Amino acid sequence: MHDDDRWDDAIREAYQRPMAGEEYARERAIARLGRERARDGHGGWWLNPDALRIRPLLAVASLIAVLAIGAWGGAWWMASHRVPEHLPRHAELTDGPTAAAVNDDSLTVTFMFRAPGASRVCLVGDFNDWDPNATPLRRAALGDAWTARVPLRRGLHAYAFVIDGSDWATDPLAPLAPAATFGRRNSVVVVGEGGAL
Amino acid sequence: MSRLHVLGCACLLLVAPAIARGTEAEEARLHARLSPELAPQVIEVVRTAESQGLPTGPIVARALEGASRQANAAAILEAVRREASGLAAARRALGPNASATELDAGAGALMAGVSEDSLANLKKARPNGSLVIPLIVLSDFVARGVPVNDASNTVLAATRAGAADPALLRMRERTNERILRGELPAGASREGLRELLSKTVQAPAKPSGAANPAEGRRP
Repeated sequence: MHDDDRWDDAIREAYQRPMAGEEYARERAIARLGRERARDGHGGWWLNPDALRIRPLLAVASLIAVLAIGAWGGAWWMASHRVPEHLPRHAELTDGPTAAAVNDDSLTVTFMFRAPGASRVCLVGDFNDWDPNATPLRRAALGDAWTARVPLRRGLHAYAFVIDGSDWATDPLAPLAPAATFGRRNSVVVVGEGGAL
Repeated sequence: MSRLHVLGCACLLLVAPAIARGTEAEEARLHARLSPELAPQVIEVVRTAESQGLPTGPIVARALEGASRQANAAAILEAVRREASGLAAARRALGPNASATELDAGAGALMAGVSEDSLANLKKARPNGSLVIPLIVLSDFVARGVPVNDASNTVLAATRAGAADPALLRMRERTNERILRGELPAGASREGLRELLSKTVQAPAKPSGAANPAEGRRP
């Protein structure tokens, strides 16, 4: 036999020879693999794709249920934040119990103002002594609209919006007060029998 | 002393504390927001207006607006005096029975340059109804650049034609839209009036009426 062939046989025999403690090593390796697999899934079935099995029909039914709940929630939000089209955008009269609950002489009027990028918008007017901190508007959940609901006595009211504490702005769709007494005009709203005009 | 006089005195006694409380509240608001030098001067203007039977709310509000806008004392006092004289002039034009809201709106129109005659003509055109909305529309036209005479004639013609408040407000909105689109304010207001008259009056409005709407438009 050639020397090289003997050398190859010796190596093959050495590889095939059982090693001491091989059974113990195999058990350790299996245990370790099990632990590593659990870590890959962060230990939770909700993030482990292999752990969750669902029937296709059940998946479709779940998806439909989620979409239906989302649509219902969206419709509810839209209804509760809607500005009626027949009223000016700046001043929505809230009819029904809200207005009646104030008293006979005043009505609750909702002011809305769009201020992209603003961090704070306040309403000032003769009804709050033109105090820039008295009536902050609340940012709507979506978009750049800000709103405030204010009980106003019947009559004529001048008002303006203060953006970020310093920039005064009129309501773009409301009637303007004629005189710019202190350099800037105001908007006006009339609260009467017919609502806010 | 008749029973009527006794009743009148009793009512006055009942109402007097409420009036006094209102006066004190106004003075307290002014003292809280104006400088110690300015507050008494403004209060004097307010009390004078009150003695003339004029509404004091717009005067107090004007002073507080000036304070919030950080105007100087001279500008605030000047604005307060103009407001008081505007209210007095509005009452002259609109009559002693004009409501406080009408006087407020009328004073605003007068301060924008509308004449007392125009206000008086509006009162004649609508002797029994409220003039608040016509005055608001008139002031808005002037504020948006419609010449005072054109604005006065437009609102007067619409009021004489019997236009109700919602129709006047629609005319204001349409005119505002046209101005925002770039039309000249005078032309926009005339077009707004023409549109209103075509809906308000049974017969279609003549083109000459739009050019000078103050004439020949009595319903």
